[in-house]
Amino acid sequence: MFKKGFLASSMAMILVLGILSGCTGNDSAKTNGKSKDQVEISVWLTPQWKGVMDGSEKGADYDSFLKHAGEKFAAQYKEHDVKVNVEVIAGDQRDELLNVNLNGGTPPDVFFESVFAMGDYVHRGALVPLNDIVDEKAKKDIAKNYWDSVTFGDDIYFYPFSHMPGTLAYNADMFKAAGLDEYIGDKNEIKTWKLADYEKILKALKKDLPKDKYPNAYPMALYALNNQGDTWNLAYFRMFGNPFFNDKGNIALNDANGIKAAEWMKKIYDSGLTNPGAESVSSNDANAMFQNQQLAISFTNSVLASNAKADMESGKAPKFDMRLANIPSESGKPLTFTYVTGAAVFNTEDKTRMKVSKDFVKFMSTDPELVKASKNGVPVRTSVAEEFKGDNPIFAAYDENAKYMFNFTGNVPGYSQLRQILYPELQALYTGEKTAEQIVKDYQEKGNQIIEESKANSVIYKK
Amino acid sequence: MRNNQPSMRENLTGYLFIAPQLMLFLVFIVYPIFEGIRLSLFRINYQQETFVGLENYSRLFADPVFLQSTINTVIFVVCIVALTVVFAIFVASAIFDKNAKYVSFIRGSYYIPVMVSMVVMSMVWSFLLNPANGLIPFAARQLEMVSVNFLGDKSLVLPVIIFITFATNIGQAIILYVAAMIGVPKDVFEAAEVDGASRMTIIFKILIPLVKPTTIYIIIMNIIAVLKIFVVIQLLTGGGPNNASTTLMYYLYNNAFKYNQLGMASAVGVIMFLITLLLSIPQLKAMFKKD
Repeated sequence: MFKKGFLASSMAMILVLGILSGCTGNDSAKTNGKSKDQVEISVWLTPQWKGVMDGSEKGADYDSFLKHAGEKFAAQYKEHDVKVNVEVIAGDQRDELLNVNLNGGTPPDVFFESVFAMGDYVHRGALVPLNDIVDEKAKKDIAKNYWDSVTFGDDIYFYPFSHMPGTLAYNADMFKAAGLDEYIGDKNEIKTWKLADYEKILKALKKDLPKDKYPNAYPMALYALNNQGDTWNLAYFRMFGNPFFNDKGNIALNDANGIKAAEWMKKIYDSGLTNPGAESVSSNDANAMFQNQQLAISFTNSVLASNAKADMESGKAPKFDMRLANIPSESGKPLTFTYVTGAAVFNTEDKTRMKVSKDFVKFMSTDPELVKASKNGVPVRTSVAEEFKGDNPIFAAYDENAKYMFNFTGNVPGYSQLRQILYPELQALYTGEKTAEQIVKDYQEKGNQIIEESKANSVIYKK
Repeated sequence: MRNNQPSMRENLTGYLFIAPQLMLFLVFIVYPIFEGIRLSLFRINYQQETFVGLENYSRLFADPVFLQSTINTVIFVVCIVALTVVFAIFVASAIFDKNAKYVSFIRGSYYIPVMVSMVVMSMVWSFLLNPANGLIPFAARQLEMVSVNFLGDKSLVLPVIIFITFATNIGQAIILYVAAMIGVPKDVFEAAEVDGASRMTIIFKILIPLVKPTTIYIIIMNIIAVLKIFVVIQLLTGGGPNNASTTLMYYLYNNAFKYNQLGMASAVGVIMFLITLLLSIPQLKAMFKKD
């Protein structure tokens, strides 16, 4: 009897306490008259730099910065109790994951990525404009050309954070071993070679590199397994003066200069001046080979270069003297490009989450401490670049190099699909299945058809 | 109609037992088939679906990559299924009447690759065959032999994929054949031996005809599996060189997830479904035919 009564009383007590705590909970949620309900936002990124500020931090990983930014944002945000879930997505899986999630109605709230890879999502109407979170102060601190690259039609769709200029990287130790001292630039210089000199370098590396010190090594990286790292392949197509896109936004590769460039790529491949099997080698393979000193010249960008140096410092990769060079051209005017990186907000149709996501993007892109992390690439903010130029003298070299930049996407819709049809043509070139003339002709035809169809479906062009 | 009612009542318990499975089958198999057929008639983008009739199908048949992937898929199906059946019969008929431990050892050896994930197998083969830093091309260069790019040569890439898929999947067929052959009554073999039949005669005239249901099962299962061949292509060749190793499943994947052409991808799915159906019906008829 006593037990039964005790049980009943206990249950009643728990119930009452539950109700009371529920009331208390409600009271605490309404701070200053505002509801502090929990809002979770998902933030995706492809691998950029490791660590919050630096790759040498303990436990540094690709998601460290955004996790830290999320925590800092949540701590100061007054409107909601926010939880930021950060997920790192492999670069070559980005479109697959986004397409599946977009079609399933579960896109991420925020994506931090290079703008060129995400432009198609603007044209498809999947991203929302960010004009309302960009103020005059930011517009003054970030140069106009960066704003131009994130503006589609009249609206801004990405908040520029940093940029990653693309260049070549070379192993100065291998150059010295092959007797190429005269072609080595300064440590903080982006060396420019003439095309004729570049060919001399490749030939000397093939002939004179000591086989005992560098067994199984090749002069230059060449790859065409998939679309990764294809911007360098696009740059090679411009080596003889082809503009790639015409002023109507169509591909104009099929001319004498475009064919000459394709012939040059085939020539250096056939002459053994590159790694073998370019048709089955990916840019990841090439990067790993360069870090293992199996390639003397490879592709890089500012983040890849600092990651490679961090790997050397931590002992993950063999240490060597890595320096930067421009992609040469026949005219002598070198070729370079940059990936502007920034955060975008997806149209999830959830007004609260979209508001919180925009606030988060504004916070991470303007917070005076957080924006300093852009030094891992090259800062887009003049204030940050000025602050770090003493520690990073290469920033001045990138700045000097900016005059050689070309716009590799041409801002055309359907760019992601254009990337998918480029590497099969390069494979056909390297395997000898098609001639240089055929691949430029076929790529132009297929590419322009994609651009035409994408324009018809683009929300930007329909406006 | 009235006569059916008692039998319906009798069978109700049975229907109730299969109902949960039937529900799952309808939701996850039957509904997606009809949804796939519907989507194949639409052009789909992020904001809207537009009915386009058979346009997706006509675009498919005008695309040389689709035709190439269809031819490749047929080559894979024919070669892998034929190799699997012939080699599995060869191994099983050679060992089924030997010492039990020996049979177990052979069965186990061939079955190990089946247990390993296809992703892992593809990565191992990639490590072996990568032309720039793979083990086989490296060894060939060290031995000053001509280095061949097995994954980049248009005439070699299909045989290489056929071999890898065959080597990975053969264990399943061997296990099924050994089990079927052990199940054949011993007196049949004894009678044949008394009549002076050679081992070859026993295999071709007795063993193979008596394991015909297993053969049909293996053929159907392998056709369905090979039609969906994807992982090895994605990880090893990416469909290359120049789409030389693209299959229907890989083409479907690219359209659905890389190019975001869901209508086209659904049309490929419908075509694959019809091919599987056409190939399976005669086999299933033969399986259920009363001899």
